[in-house]
Amino acid sequence: MLAGIKIRSQLCWRALMAKDAMLKGYLQSLMPVIDESFMEAELLAIDLEMTGLDANFDQILSIGVVPIRRGQLILSEAQHKLVQIEGSVGQSATIHGILDAHLDAALTPEQAMAWFLTVSQGKVLVAHHAPLDLAFLQSGLQASLGEKTRLLAIDTLQLEKRRLLRQHEHLQEGSLRLGRSRARYGLPVYAAHNALIDALACGELLLAQVAAMGGANKVKIAELLA
Amino acid sequence: MDASELQPITQFLGQLTPFDSLSEKTLERCCRALSVGYYSRSSVYVPLDADNPQLYIVRSGAFEVRGEDGDLIDRLGDGDFFGFPSLLSGEMVSNRVQILEDGLVYHLDPETFNQLRSESREFDRFFNRAFAKRLRHQGRFKAKELGSTNRVSSLMSKQPLCLDINASVSDAARLMRDNRVSSVLIIDNHKLAGILTDRDLRNRVLAESLDGSLPVHQAMTVNPTTLSANALVFEAMLLMSQHNIHHLPIMDEGKPIGVITSTDILRGQSSQPLLLIGEIERQQDLESLIHVSKQIPLLLQNLISADARAEEIGRVLTSVTDALTRRLIVLNQQILGQAPMPFCWLAFGSQGRQDQAACSDQDNGLLLAHEMDEHAQGYFEALTKAVCAGLDRCGYVYCPGDIMAQNPKWRLTLEQWQQKFANWVEHPEPKALMHASIFFDMRCVYGPSSLFEGLQSQVLESTKDNDIFLAGMAGNALQVSPPLGFFKKFVLERDGQEVKGIDLKHKGSALINDIARIYALSAGISEVNTAKRIRLLMEQNIINRKDALNLADAHEFIAHMRLSNQGFQYTHNQPLTNYLMPQQLSSLVRHQLRDAFKVVHDAQAGLKLKFTRSF
Repeated sequence: MLAGIKIRSQLCWRALMAKDAMLKGYLQSLMPVIDESFMEAELLAIDLEMTGLDANFDQILSIGVVPIRRGQLILSEAQHKLVQIEGSVGQSATIHGILDAHLDAALTPEQAMAWFLTVSQGKVLVAHHAPLDLAFLQSGLQASLGEKTRLLAIDTLQLEKRRLLRQHEHLQEGSLRLGRSRARYGLPVYAAHNALIDALACGELLLAQVAAMGGANKVKIAELLA
Repeated sequence: MDASELQPITQFLGQLTPFDSLSEKTLERCCRALSVGYYSRSSVYVPLDADNPQLYIVRSGAFEVRGEDGDLIDRLGDGDFFGFPSLLSGEMVSNRVQILEDGLVYHLDPETFNQLRSESREFDRFFNRAFAKRLRHQGRFKAKELGSTNRVSSLMSKQPLCLDINASVSDAARLMRDNRVSSVLIIDNHKLAGILTDRDLRNRVLAESLDGSLPVHQAMTVNPTTLSANALVFEAMLLMSQHNIHHLPIMDEGKPIGVITSTDILRGQSSQPLLLIGEIERQQDLESLIHVSKQIPLLLQNLISADARAEEIGRVLTSVTDALTRRLIVLNQQILGQAPMPFCWLAFGSQGRQDQAACSDQDNGLLLAHEMDEHAQGYFEALTKAVCAGLDRCGYVYCPGDIMAQNPKWRLTLEQWQQKFANWVEHPEPKALMHASIFFDMRCVYGPSSLFEGLQSQVLESTKDNDIFLAGMAGNALQVSPPLGFFKKFVLERDGQEVKGIDLKHKGSALINDIARIYALSAGISEVNTAKRIRLLMEQNIINRKDALNLADAHEFIAHMRLSNQGFQYTHNQPLTNYLMPQQLSSLVRHQLRDAFKVVHDAQAGLKLKFTRSF
């Protein structure tokens, strides 16, 4: 309960400070969702592919999103957008399989941010190791809107860490990675990786985590954000 | 958006029957229509929304479908479906789906489901069939006539009998008699001029009151229909039936090299078992019988690879065993002398039911016309020991339970056998019931049938409508249930440390044998072959037509799977077992096998209701 109040006041403050109408609208649209149950709320599982790990220097390559509604992932609304970058994809292409040629059809970073704010309206973000994705989104928003902001997301890695520590399990290196975490819930192994598949994988992990926490009707969004 | 983006899902769905029949584009559209849910054991049941029926596709986890009264209908794992009955029938959801193991489930909405049904006949048929729980897969069991795809050269008689065109019909008849053939080729200047057959001699010579001095060219069929040596047997059959003839000269480079007759073809079609039985009957000593019996595994493999019906394979193999048993009895009687009294050699268990397969052991006994004196005791002990040992050496290993004629316990007079059966029937204790399941499938392999019928009629008299005994039998039969747990890694039988797979004999065929036996005993049916028992039960309206057909199909399907599995093991040089490794199956065969086990499960429920309700 306390967590809900704290998060709502943070959101309230950030919404007040936001100058851009869309950003303001987005932050405001989240406020009622905080107290909803997982079943009632709308969420958006996201994953970003980047050229590197430094949000101040590296750039977003692609964004995958899968909405969660009534406790289920909605594949018909799943989307995958490539984002234009300055320079070449370089080294990271070997990881993501994104080639310069693919980027021709990509959105500009500004278009990507506008698109992202639209699809995430009223939806709580979900990501695995969320701080990294949020850092890139925040710096992307700052670049296109010219104002600083802080986003909010459910972090499936954090949820998993919390659960394991509560069970007094010794955290081994790598045990909180997406694949390893999924395996603990008997979720299938996905061989392929891109922003969309990882967003889907992250969303499925959250469904499993929520089930383990007591079910979609009982678990509140505030608990997941805390 | 490109097709591979939801690759983990398209890939999973694409290898799943019936989704594997959809085009790539349709499959992608179908994946796009899915929503993904996760069900946890803590919520016990999958919340099914009556207003919003969906097709549920299990991606991971394990589920149980239970009927209104809590009865197990189905167990589901990866790649299985539920919810389709409501989608197809539009009726309210009455089943409940219990969550055995947490899992991911894909939901397909009714609009897309119906669209796929209208676009793909296979998709539609799959779910209709699953819904109807029907098991008829007609084409599947239809024996491929392997024999007819052979070349005629493999069946024809080589070095055909030839005669010059100027010879008389008497010459021809003598030549045919001496060579014991029904036709002769007539040659004119090194070329085939005609063919003279038994029928020609009858119709064109005798019936016309002509005498034997008639030249053959006046009686023969001129320019007969011929075939080349590399023609198919099938083509020979076709020609024969088109022209209503029974003999075809086989030509190579314009010269006759052989003749093929309808009898040759007939022999070719079923030659092996008949030849083998013929050979068994010709052997004069044990060593040569053992040698001949080495062909039995090969015969089994040939029958399997020819895709013969499992029921037919069982009957063929059992007739070989019967012939072998009879031959052993005859050969040993030649050594021991005439038996001091009439007796019957009884076959029990699989030989009795005529469903022997690979690695069968022997179950037999002796039925004697009357009390034995000391001489008779010695005689029959020697005879039975020799026959059982002979069977053992021919590959029918000694019965581990010692149910064999060489055991004095199972060498009894009519009266003693009747007493034994009466005991089992009146005191259906566990051991008696176990015996009953073997002994009640009895058949007389050797000896006077009147003696055997004396035993059988009395036994059937005592079991017919005998509620207490039948309830005991039914209770016993219900102790093993079919491995409906086709979910996850299947429910695997463990034998020692080694996972052996699914036991098609003890968890499948044996259960159907039990069911058929109990119904047959309750109705006083003397038939012991399971398929025939089921047919008779259907004809006498003891089991309704639909259930009987389903049960017969399940019996055939499971037996077929067992045999083809053994065929696979044989060709891969593995020891032959009754265990099927489920991971070797396509998902369709898995579905079918599960359907078959479901039929067994339902039939067991019926058995329980009919025979055990009052106890």
